[in-house]
Amino acid sequence: MASLAAPLPVPKEEEALSMQDVISPADALYDKCAQKAQGTVFFQRDLSNMQIAETMGELTMLLQELCDRHLMKLMTLEGEPCWKLRSRSDADKLRRLTPDERLLYHHIDQVQAEGIWSKALRARTNVTQQVLTKCLKSLESKELVQSVMSVKFPNRKMYLLKHLQPSEDIAGGPWQAEGDFDTALIQAISGAVAQYVENETCIKVPGNWNDYAQKKANAQGMRDIEEAPAVKPHQPSSDPNTSKLVHKNSPQYPNSASVAEWVNAKGVLRGKIVREDDMEQLLEMMVLDGRLEKISGTSYRTVLTAIDTKIYNGFVDAPCGNCPVFDLCGDEGEISARTCVYYGEWLQTQSEEV
Amino acid sequence: MSYNQRETPILAELCTLLVEDVYGELAARVYSILARHGRQTLAAVARASYLNGRQIKYGLVILLQQHLVFHSGNDASVTYYEIDWQNSYALVRLGKVAKLVEDRFGKKAANVMSNLLALGHTRIADLKDAYFPPETASDDESDDGVVNGAGLKRKRTNGTQANGTATKTNGVVNGVPSELDDAKPHLASLVNGGGAVNGIHKTNGTTHEPVADDAEQDDDDIGSVDELYEIIQRLIQRGWVRTVTESQYLSPGDMHDMLQQEAIEQENAGVTPTGTKDKDRVHRATLSLKRQMRDDWLTVPKFSQKRQAEDYSGSNKRVKISGANNWATPSVSSEDNLVIRVNPEKIAVAMRTEHLVQLVEQRLGSVTAGIYQTMLRMLESNIPRCYEEWPEPPLPGGEPPLENTIDHRLLVTARDVAKKLNRDLDICEGLDPHAIVHITKKGHVDKYTVLTHPTDPSRLSLDERTLVVDKHIQLLAEDPIHFVTWHSRAGHSQWHVEFEEIAKQMIQSEVENTISARKGALGVKLIRALRKKGKLDERATCNAMMMPANDIRGIINDLTVQGFVQTQEIPKVERREAKHSLHLVWYDRQRAREKLLHDTYKGMVRILQRVAFEREKVQPLLSKAERSDVIGNEEKWLSKGELDALKKWKEVQEKLLLQLFREDDLVATLRDFHGPLVSV
Repeated sequence: MASLAAPLPVPKEEEALSMQDVISPADALYDKCAQKAQGTVFFQRDLSNMQIAETMGELTMLLQELCDRHLMKLMTLEGEPCWKLRSRSDADKLRRLTPDERLLYHHIDQVQAEGIWSKALRARTNVTQQVLTKCLKSLESKELVQSVMSVKFPNRKMYLLKHLQPSEDIAGGPWQAEGDFDTALIQAISGAVAQYVENETCIKVPGNWNDYAQKKANAQGMRDIEEAPAVKPHQPSSDPNTSKLVHKNSPQYPNSASVAEWVNAKGVLRGKIVREDDMEQLLEMMVLDGRLEKISGTSYRTVLTAIDTKIYNGFVDAPCGNCPVFDLCGDEGEISARTCVYYGEWLQTQSEEV
Repeated sequence: MSYNQRETPILAELCTLLVEDVYGELAARVYSILARHGRQTLAAVARASYLNGRQIKYGLVILLQQHLVFHSGNDASVTYYEIDWQNSYALVRLGKVAKLVEDRFGKKAANVMSNLLALGHTRIADLKDAYFPPETASDDESDDGVVNGAGLKRKRTNGTQANGTATKTNGVVNGVPSELDDAKPHLASLVNGGGAVNGIHKTNGTTHEPVADDAEQDDDDIGSVDELYEIIQRLIQRGWVRTVTESQYLSPGDMHDMLQQEAIEQENAGVTPTGTKDKDRVHRATLSLKRQMRDDWLTVPKFSQKRQAEDYSGSNKRVKISGANNWATPSVSSEDNLVIRVNPEKIAVAMRTEHLVQLVEQRLGSVTAGIYQTMLRMLESNIPRCYEEWPEPPLPGGEPPLENTIDHRLLVTARDVAKKLNRDLDICEGLDPHAIVHITKKGHVDKYTVLTHPTDPSRLSLDERTLVVDKHIQLLAEDPIHFVTWHSRAGHSQWHVEFEEIAKQMIQSEVENTISARKGALGVKLIRALRKKGKLDERATCNAMMMPANDIRGIINDLTVQGFVQTQEIPKVERREAKHSLHLVWYDRQRAREKLLHDTYKGMVRILQRVAFEREKVQPLLSKAERSDVIGNEEKWLSKGELDALKKWKEVQEKLLLQLFREDDLVATLRDFHGPLVSV
């Protein structure tokens, strides 16, 4: 039926464009509907109110015609029929589809943003694998549908209409792109968030913040060297140029809601809005990363270390702790403490040659 | 079997090396037989070795004196010998103990302590004689120091050089089974060989090094007998030294049998329990007997002189309940006959304090660490051990235990800390300047975060100091490790320390340190994710770590091979196809802990082997340098090349031993601060 319908409307449409007066009532109805905002859903009441069809019967006929030409899509809402417009170009593409393709398109259309797995599609439509592959390919090449890798099931290809944004179930939250975590984005955002949290929970203190020794010396004037103040243990540098971070005194600890709010207000993620759940995922990940630490149930703060150099432990700082042949090492034999090259390197002594 | 008494082949190897290093070859050979064959009788040891009976007895006496070996009771027909792994391993800590005591009680106490360590258990009178030799014994051979192979040189078979001094066999040997009687004279000479003290008192840190200087010890010499007794008394009161009783020689197995029998007699009228209820009751009674016996070991004996120190606060509350045990310490009229030894459990407590302070220093800075140190040391004398080895099992109904109140001696207030704190510590450091201003109410913080009115920490009033200290303590409490926990408002703020939870975190952080050194931040992230979420499949792992699966797979694989992470495959279909199975990854802290502990033991064995190898290489030179005419005249008799080689050897040895002690720190964290963890 489509093959018959397909070639016909094309000249008709051109006709309609060239001769304004002889516009068909169906096209008139379409144009009228197109004036409304895109994506509007029309109920029978709305359409009859447009006063293009004289009677109910005629309206039904017009709608039937538009549906046949794929300019309108019939839907139901709570048992009541309703219609939605398709653009003329889309309708045009649809008219050129083969019946199999149209069938598949129909099923893909039904699932909307959720997407449908190719296997499920085949189960629903009962077409052979070859036909399925061929049709899906042609639908994709015609830019009617798109395929997306599911996040939940990484080996499933999900199909949905081209113009739709894949839902979060299959595409993941703001952190994911094309089914996988967007490492670069995550890195950039977590850097910004870490900085934000640091500003909220820590304070930078210069070396000379509490310069009492200097002041005392000034007040008492120059003193003999013997009377110099007693040596203080743990005396930190009082150089004003050095500074260190300390935890703020009674700060407002940020939580996922406040950080999300900050990120959204800053517009760091262009066009995307971060929900609280997404932010919690990111913050929890940063806790695992050791960049943040959880203070109470929901609030976070920056991890501070007082010592810059990383100290591991006695075992891994010795050659054995990182030895690639540790499990092969024995009391004697080719690999042993006597022949160990790593010990030789570490102690700068000669090991026994094997 | 006791958790602590589980041995692994690698621990046996490590301990044998340690025994050989400290007590020489003979002891090590006897020890290694016990290590390889397990619980043995004297006859079985003789069969398994090429040593003659006399040699074995000498070896055993050394081991018994040092509490490296358990033996079954004297009343049984045959005596069995069994290694005490905890004490054997503790040989590596000899130097550390002296340092810990010195930090707390000063140099003199450290001197007494290292003598005690070197001598094993000692009668107080003998210790006294060692410090203040009686007239008669003073004309002993001058090389008497060598007798105490302890702490001195390896490769000196102790037994052969025992030149029995005039001392009588005395109370010292009350722990030695009768079949070793003929070895007693030697033992006695081991203990109080006249002027031997000079030779051995330098054991701290350098058990591997022959030390021959006794010139600079005059400063911290103990002046009088009274002083010595006072030191000993204080050490006993604080729980660092305990009296020796025969029951301490029972292996955990023997002790269990004995106490269970006693429990059965008390609780079940001597009938072996059969029902669950009876069994449970007897089990509880056994555990409580064990605790009671152990607590009795710590009873502070009555000293004849009225020298009760003021700060005596009773090292254990359970002590008061004692009395029913006929095998408990017999009350001695004079302390001279008391036999004392170092209490290894207390050493672990002190090591835990040091570790925690170090950890705080890394996380929160040195000032906060100093305050934490003060807090922990105040608590220390009331903490007899790191964890309860025989905890009361939970009631069958699952009701929470009644004891929810915290012993007031385990609490510490900010005010007490402020009073006790070293005045030189700049307590304002490491805090938010705003907090200081808030406390002093002077000036304000300018835009460069500099105080307009600098505060001299030494001029703060006690109240202000308390407030400042409290700020530091709050930092400790807020840290995710929760170094302290708030208890009440007494003394401005009163705190207690939840050691159990902290010990778990310490174990975890050591595991993370290891992984971080091997696999970098990614490995640590994986472990943390698995610890938080439990068993995960690949997708859930990716979600938690927010990373593509490809980046994670390699790490999971590596950590599985290293034994830090476990994997599991759960089939979903009957045919168990890999494709249709769930593949889970998980992390078990206890397993990771045991694996790391085992690896560390192995690493320590390798270090000791390397030390031996390095020594072997310079052996000819070392024997030359140790010649009596060369010592002190090295410059004269040794060539430049030889001096350089000697120096290099010293450096190498020092580096290796330092590493050994650091690995021991790791062992302490992994093993001694917390009992077995319940798996996830």
